[in-house]
Amino acid sequence: MKSIQTHPFNKKLRIREAFIEGALFLFALLSIAITVSIVVILLRESLLFFESDEVTLSGFLFGTKWQPMIGYFGVLPLLNATLMTSLIAMIVALPLGLAVGIYLSEYADEKFKSVVKPVLEVLAGIPSIVYGYFALTFMTPLLRSIFGDDVVQMYNMMSAGIVMGILILPLVATMAEDAIAAVPVELRLASYALGATTLETSIKVVVPAALSGLSATFLLGLSRAIGETMIVALAAGAGPKMTFNFFEGAETITGYIVRISGGDVSYNSVDYTSIFALGLMLFFMTFTLNMISREISARYQTEYE
Amino acid sequence: MKKTVLMLMIVSALFLPLFAQGQSDAQESDPFSWIEDQMINGLPGVNPIEVTGNIVTAGSSTVFPLSERMAERFTEEGYNGTITVDSIGSGAGFERFTVAGETDISNASRPIKAKEIDQAKKIGRNPIEFKVGTDALAVTVSAENTFVKDVTMDELAMIFGSATYWSDVRSTWPRQQIQRFIPGTDSGTFDYFSEEVFDKDPAPMLNASNLQLSEDDNILVQGIEGSPYAIGYFGYAYYVENKDKLNVLAIEGVEANEDNVNAGLYPLARPLFLYSDATIMREKPQVAAFIGFYLAYVNEEVTRVGYFPADDAALAASKQGWLDAMEGLY
Repeated sequence: MKSIQTHPFNKKLRIREAFIEGALFLFALLSIAITVSIVVILLRESLLFFESDEVTLSGFLFGTKWQPMIGYFGVLPLLNATLMTSLIAMIVALPLGLAVGIYLSEYADEKFKSVVKPVLEVLAGIPSIVYGYFALTFMTPLLRSIFGDDVVQMYNMMSAGIVMGILILPLVATMAEDAIAAVPVELRLASYALGATTLETSIKVVVPAALSGLSATFLLGLSRAIGETMIVALAAGAGPKMTFNFFEGAETITGYIVRISGGDVSYNSVDYTSIFALGLMLFFMTFTLNMISREISARYQTEYE
Repeated sequence: MKKTVLMLMIVSALFLPLFAQGQSDAQESDPFSWIEDQMINGLPGVNPIEVTGNIVTAGSSTVFPLSERMAERFTEEGYNGTITVDSIGSGAGFERFTVAGETDISNASRPIKAKEIDQAKKIGRNPIEFKVGTDALAVTVSAENTFVKDVTMDELAMIFGSATYWSDVRSTWPRQQIQRFIPGTDSGTFDYFSEEVFDKDPAPMLNASNLQLSEDDNILVQGIEGSPYAIGYFGYAYYVENKDKLNVLAIEGVEANEDNVNAGLYPLARPLFLYSDATIMREKPQVAAFIGFYLAYVNEEVTRVGYFPADDAALAASKQGWLDAMEGLY
C-alpha cells in the first residue's frame, strides 16, 4: 500500500499503465494461442491421415517408398533427402560461419566489423526464393560443368544444399561470433601470458571454451536448414527418391509439401492429409533441435559466472 | 412518349429471365449491352468494351496457354475487368469449380468425370462442356539426345514404366538410366497418359525409378533439357515454346503435326475443354461474354499458341451449347 501512496504519478496514469500491461499480455497470449492452434490443427489433420486404412504408423516411419496415390506411404525417402540437403548445408555453413565468427571476434578491428556485419545482415535478408533461383541457374550449371552433365542431374541435392549453406551462413556466423565473444577475456590473457599467438589462443583456448555456445549455433542452423523450403523446392527435385547420391534429384519433406499444397491434389484425398503428417514431423524435428539448442545455451551462459 | 414505352418494354423483356430466376440485383444499365447485332463465326458478336465485372478461371496447365492468350486478346480489345487464369491441373480446377464453387470457368484437358458432375450438382451447378481445341501430347527428349527418334506405344509403356535403363527398351540404346519428368498426379495430362499408355493404371508410372513430377510444365522442360537421357511429356504448346532445346518423338511412326492430328492419325491427340454453367453465365454476363468471345476467335489463336483446332462439328456443338445456355437473353 505504502509504495502506491508514494508513487510519483497520479492514479489515472496507473490505470492506463494497467491497461497497457493488459494489452501487452494479451498480445503475448495471442502468439502462444496461435502456436497452440497450429499444433492442434496439425495434430487433427495428421490424425485423419493415420486413420486412413491404407496408412500404418510403421509403414509411414520405416517405408522406403513414398507415392501416396498408389498406396506407398514410407517417409524415409523424403526424410533422407531433407537430412542430406541439410547435412550439405551444414558442411558449408559451419566451417565458414565459424571462421567468420573467429575472425570477427578475435582479429577484426571495429572499423572492419562495422562494414562486414551489415553485409552479413543483407545476406540474411535476401528472400529464400532468390537463393532458389541462384541454385538452379548458377550453382547447378557450375556443378555440372565441373563434374559433368552425366554425373550431376539437372535437379540435385548438392546444389540445393550448398546454396542452403550460404543462406544460413549469416545466422551461423553471427551466433558463432556471439558465442566466442562471450568467452571471458581472462582466458585469452592467460593464454597470451603463456606465449601463445592469437591463432593458437583462438583455436586452442577460445573455441573450446565456447564449444557449448557453438553447438547451440550448430543445432539452430540445422533446424533452419531442415525447415528451409523454397531452395529445395526449386532446385533439389520434385520426385521422392531413396538415394544417397548427392548429385541426384530427390524431393525433401518441405519440397513435397510445397508441390502438394500448390494445387496438385484434391483436398479430401490422403495425399492432401499426408502433408499435415509431414508438417507435424518437421515441427517435432525443429522443435526438438531448438529446445536442445536453448538448453545448451542456457547452460553455457552460467558457466563462467 | 411512345418511344419511351417501347424502350421500357424492351428493357423489361431483357430483364425478365433474370427476375424469373429470382435475381434481385438488377443493374441500371443493361448487363448484356456487350451483345452486338451481327453474328460472328456463328455466335452473337461480343464487344469487350461493354463487359464489366471480373472472371475467375482455373484448371489444366495444358489449356492454360490458350486461355491465357484468349484472356489477353479479350483485354486487348477493351475488356476492363480482371480475368484470372490459374494453372493448377484439371483435377484441382474441377475441385474449385464443383466443390468450393470459387471459379466461373474450369479449364480441363480431360472430360469431366461423373463423380465431379454429381459434386457440382450438390452446389447447384450443372457443368456445360465447351470443346475449344485439340492437343497432341508431346513426348520429348533433350535436343542432345541423338538415339531416340520414334517409339511405339509398347515402348512408351516401358520407358515410363518398368525399364530402368534405355538399353532395357531397345538393345541399341545406351545403358544409361532413364530420367523421367512427368506432370503431377492430379493433372489431366497424367490421367490421359495413364489411360492411353497404361490402360488406366497409374501404378507402373509412379513405381518407376528416377521419376520427377511437377504441375509446372516449365520445370519438366528444364529437367528434360538438362540430360540426353531424360524424357518427359506435356502439352504440345510447351514443346513449341521450347523447340530449340527439345526433340519431339514420333509415336508409332506418326509425327506430331497438324496434318496428322487433324487426320486423326496421331495416337496421343486429345481434346481441350472449358467448363462453365448456365446459371453462372446468365448471372455473370461477363462470363458468358468471355466464353462467347473465346469460341468465336479460338481458331485464330489456337495454332499460334501451339495447339490444333477442334474439329468443326465439336466447335459447332460448343457454340450451340453457348446459345442454349443463353437462350432468350440476346
